Amino acid sequence: MMPREKYKDKAENLYKQVDAYNLVENLETCLACGKCVGNCPVASLNPSYNPRQIISDVMSGEARRWLDSEEIWRCFWCAGCYTVCPNDIHFPLLMMQIRYMAVENNWGLKYIMPFKRFALRAREDGLTFAPSEKGREKIKRYRRNLGVSEWPEISAKAQAEYKELFDLTGTTEFLEKLSDEAERPVRFKYLEGRIVGE
Amino acid sequence: MNEARVIAPEELIPSVPETIFLFRSCTGSMEYPGTENAIKEVLDKLGINIVMDPDQTCCSGYLLTCSAHKPELSLAVTARNLAIVEQKNLDTYMFCNGCYGYNRELAHILKHNPAYMQMANDIIAKQGYHYEGKTGIFHVQELWYRLKKELVARAVVPLNGLKVGVHYGCHYLAQQYQILDDGGYPTFQEELLAAFGAEPVFYKERQACCGYSVGRGFTHKESVVQPHLFKKFKSAKEAGVDLMTTTCPGCNVGLDREQPNLAKRYGEEFDIPVIDLSQLLGLALGVPLNKLGFEANTVPLDKVIEKLGLKKGE
Repeated sequence: MMPREKYKDKAENLYKQVDAYNLVENLETCLACGKCVGNCPVASLNPSYNPRQIISDVMSGEARRWLDSEEIWRCFWCAGCYTVCPNDIHFPLLMMQIRYMAVENNWGLKYIMPFKRFALRAREDGLTFAPSEKGREKIKRYRRNLGVSEWPEISAKAQAEYKELFDLTGTTEFLEKLSDEAERPVRFKYLEGRIVGE
Repeated sequence: MNEARVIAPEELIPSVPETIFLFRSCTGSMEYPGTENAIKEVLDKLGINIVMDPDQTCCSGYLLTCSAHKPELSLAVTARNLAIVEQKNLDTYMFCNGCYGYNRELAHILKHNPAYMQMANDIIAKQGYHYEGKTGIFHVQELWYRLKKELVARAVVPLNGLKVGVHYGCHYLAQQYQILDDGGYPTFQEELLAAFGAEPVFYKERQACCGYSVGRGFTHKESVVQPHLFKKFKSAKEAGVDLMTTTCPGCNVGLDREQPNLAKRYGEEFDIPVIDLSQLLGLALGVPLNKLGFEANTVPLDKVIEKLGLKKGE
């Protein structure tokens, strides 16, 4: 007989290891209908990225299979899976937490590092994606031509308080610890016996 | 999909507000400042007052969904920004699907998890704020749809014959409660544009994501975003789209800025200008072109402006 995995062979509520923030409380209602996969733009390009398979693995306590994968970094977070889910499972909030686990284990750091830079800059600006000096000149010109203030009207108070929230929530510390020196390589998983696009 | 989550505009916004709080969008005020300005111009024509507050910060949602930081920051930021609006006794209107989606989702989490609400309020109390969860969170397009008749009555430039391909943006459609249409197959923006005489085009990949959502434009541009966008633009072009509209400055970046790269990679020029729905309404309502900020667009609007019989500088 082929050995088969069963959820009941594992401990109860294994997915809480992934959903540490209790944001996806209805994961066990997954019907495995696969609408999430059918509506996923990433799955259409990279079939080995499979939200239904990920849910199944998370529920059986096998989330670690995905932590060193390239697949999890391809999700756009468009939430197309959530839009069509008959049971309103918020898969993107699960994906966010799977990525936290990967990063904690130093996988996928290279995919987080650009955002460390953006986040540390946003911490100063109170705005996300404010460009460097040269890009700012262009924005100021466009805004001048519209007859509005040169820079978005954000107060020094807002900027100081935004920065303070980074410190108070431990975000500054979290960001400063991120370094790509510890990077462990990720690769495409789920290749064997599956249709894979590349 | 649950039908009950769709709500009629008259139910969503029972009485038209005299004054709204307009939530500043980082991308909308920097990449495409004309978007914010178009909204202000259209609201002005409708006689609705706008309050903005320089103390409001970024919603912080984008970087959260990139997993670049943990939810605690965004929960506190959301509570702080919405507390500012609550003090003014107003409802919040967003014009970026990101701001809208993240604020809705994070406010929902705060309201349904007393422990998170407590945590966020404990943090922002240090800055003198308190969030109760009272302010309503809306997208400005909901106001446009609610005031369709009033808007059409004020139109001075007919959009006749303009083939518009709508891009709704995922983070509006993914809301599971109280949105204007079925996330699986929305049509309300097309309905709005048709009322102005435009010819909505239901191109095949109409609901495909802009591809930039959550940073994949920074880390997977060539492996995922470009092949994905190529499919989208190919189907839009085949369907004869003259102009694409968005309701999210973030989507606008993905769809507008990436077209030269697609042309370079695939040897196919799409040349489809992408603007905000509010900018198109501004055009129809006769807002002068220099108030709509199209100079920030990568794909120029010349053909559209010509088709509408408008002159530059008008």
